[in-house]
Amino acid sequence: MRKWLGLALGVVTATGGFLDAGTVVTAGEAGAQFGLGLLWAALVATLAVMLLVEMTGRFAAVSGKPYAAAVREHFGFKFYLLPLASELIAESVMLAAEIGGIAVAVSIATGLPWLPLFPLAALFVWLLVYRAPFSLIENGPAVLGLVTLSFLVGIAVLGGPNEHLVRSAWPPAVGPGKLPAYLGLAAAILGATISPYLIYFYSSGAREEGWNEADLTLNKVTAVVGMGFGSLGSIALIVLAAMVLLPQGKDGSTLPQLASTMTRALGAPGTLLFALALFATCTGAAFEVSLGLAYDVAQGFGWQWGEDEAPVEAARFNLVLTAVVVVSVVIGLLIQDPASLAIVGSTLIALFLPISLAPFLVIMNDRDELGERTNGRLSNIATGGVVGLAFVVAVLSLVLTFVGG
Amino acid sequence: MARSLHRHGRALAEARQQVLVMRDLMDLQIESADGIDLGRVDDVEAEILADGQAAVTALLGGPQALAGRISSRLRPLIRRLLRDRFDSRIPIEEVAELGLVVRLRGPAARYGLGASDRWLAEHLWARLPGGRR
Repeated sequence: MRKWLGLALGVVTATGGFLDAGTVVTAGEAGAQFGLGLLWAALVATLAVMLLVEMTGRFAAVSGKPYAAAVREHFGFKFYLLPLASELIAESVMLAAEIGGIAVAVSIATGLPWLPLFPLAALFVWLLVYRAPFSLIENGPAVLGLVTLSFLVGIAVLGGPNEHLVRSAWPPAVGPGKLPAYLGLAAAILGATISPYLIYFYSSGAREEGWNEADLTLNKVTAVVGMGFGSLGSIALIVLAAMVLLPQGKDGSTLPQLASTMTRALGAPGTLLFALALFATCTGAAFEVSLGLAYDVAQGFGWQWGEDEAPVEAARFNLVLTAVVVVSVVIGLLIQDPASLAIVGSTLIALFLPISLAPFLVIMNDRDELGERTNGRLSNIATGGVVGLAFVVAVLSLVLTFVGG
Repeated sequence: MARSLHRHGRALAEARQQVLVMRDLMDLQIESADGIDLGRVDDVEAEILADGQAAVTALLGGPQALAGRISSRLRPLIRRLLRDRFDSRIPIEEVAELGLVVRLRGPAARYGLGASDRWLAEHLWARLPGGRR
């Protein structure tokens, strides 16, 4: 019975934790500009993130150590700096987008301008990571995040996608001159969903909750069911944007535009539901991203770490946590556009995926860490394939953008 | 033998009988007797004995040691900047146990490594509301 309760909680967590500013913005833009033509990217990304979450949980449960510690011990200090630097760059941008998303959510719900709300949102995030215990951080926003399932209700109320739209799913139709944008969005969708902060966050969370090999089945089910269920939110948003914004000729590049899809379906309550979903997902993601970065630094350098420890017990860890939020506030104030930050952050992540995930795959195949629980060939090939795909698509889109002027 | 030492964790006395490979020591977590994570083995100090063998004499930790890991030319540069203030040397005699982690004989307060954690706790977090939670 307790096991099933654990599963339910795990699934809820994964479902609510799936979306963030990156997935919301990329899904919205994809639907508005290309109909269902980028649905495949969301599906591929979902498969990859299922594999990744399962591996991360297995790694933490069996090896008994968090990921950043393993990277440094396996590859040495100099190599460790590489994924660390790529994480710090890409995820700081992402964190700025998440905090911006929180501010925009409040702005949509209240009608206040979002920019003055931005520092307040950052303070809110900092206070929670500074004060709250791990379980609240993991479960609170996740449960709230179930509101994203209201996107499905929105689709149903609008009558579902018509036959013409369904046919745009495959083969995808890309208009003349639209290829760089199409590939760029494909890369951003992959990067937004397969975010490596997840590995640092999830492996550390498993340590904070004391997982062991007895939790492996639960881990597998949670990864597949939770991530599968969670992807419904982002897929629903692609469909919603395709149904509402595409016919209006809008590009879906701002969060209020995306909110208008739910307004169209459900009226004023729809707007509020979108705002609540955005608030919950961005809050959850802001926790995960900032903690993921602080875990990465503290574990790599061997400092005391832990969200359940008082700040005096893990002083340097909490200093990094604070610094990360401050840097993101600066980024967010310099580039006052959360949606663009989310796209840039997601694309950077896609570009950096080989750096962050290649060492992970190596470690997942090391018998000294995982004993008999190393990766099967299929998960190696699938994960490697998706990482390669995301990287190639990201590079291609950049090359095409610059060549095309 | 490299990783089996990590897996099972043996007393230092036994480890001393074995030839340590750098990989067994470098980058390991250093923990005090009271269970505080102080830092990692950023570098090791060794001396060549009369019989030509090398013996590890101390574990090193801090920004200068880390700079040396990145590039040998970076180390003197950082040293001129920091003047040894943030680096610490833990004599190998202080090591109680060598396994998955390096466990030291004394409590955290005895070592320079991790002193910045205590300084920050005392001068920053302890003064903020909620710092002790």
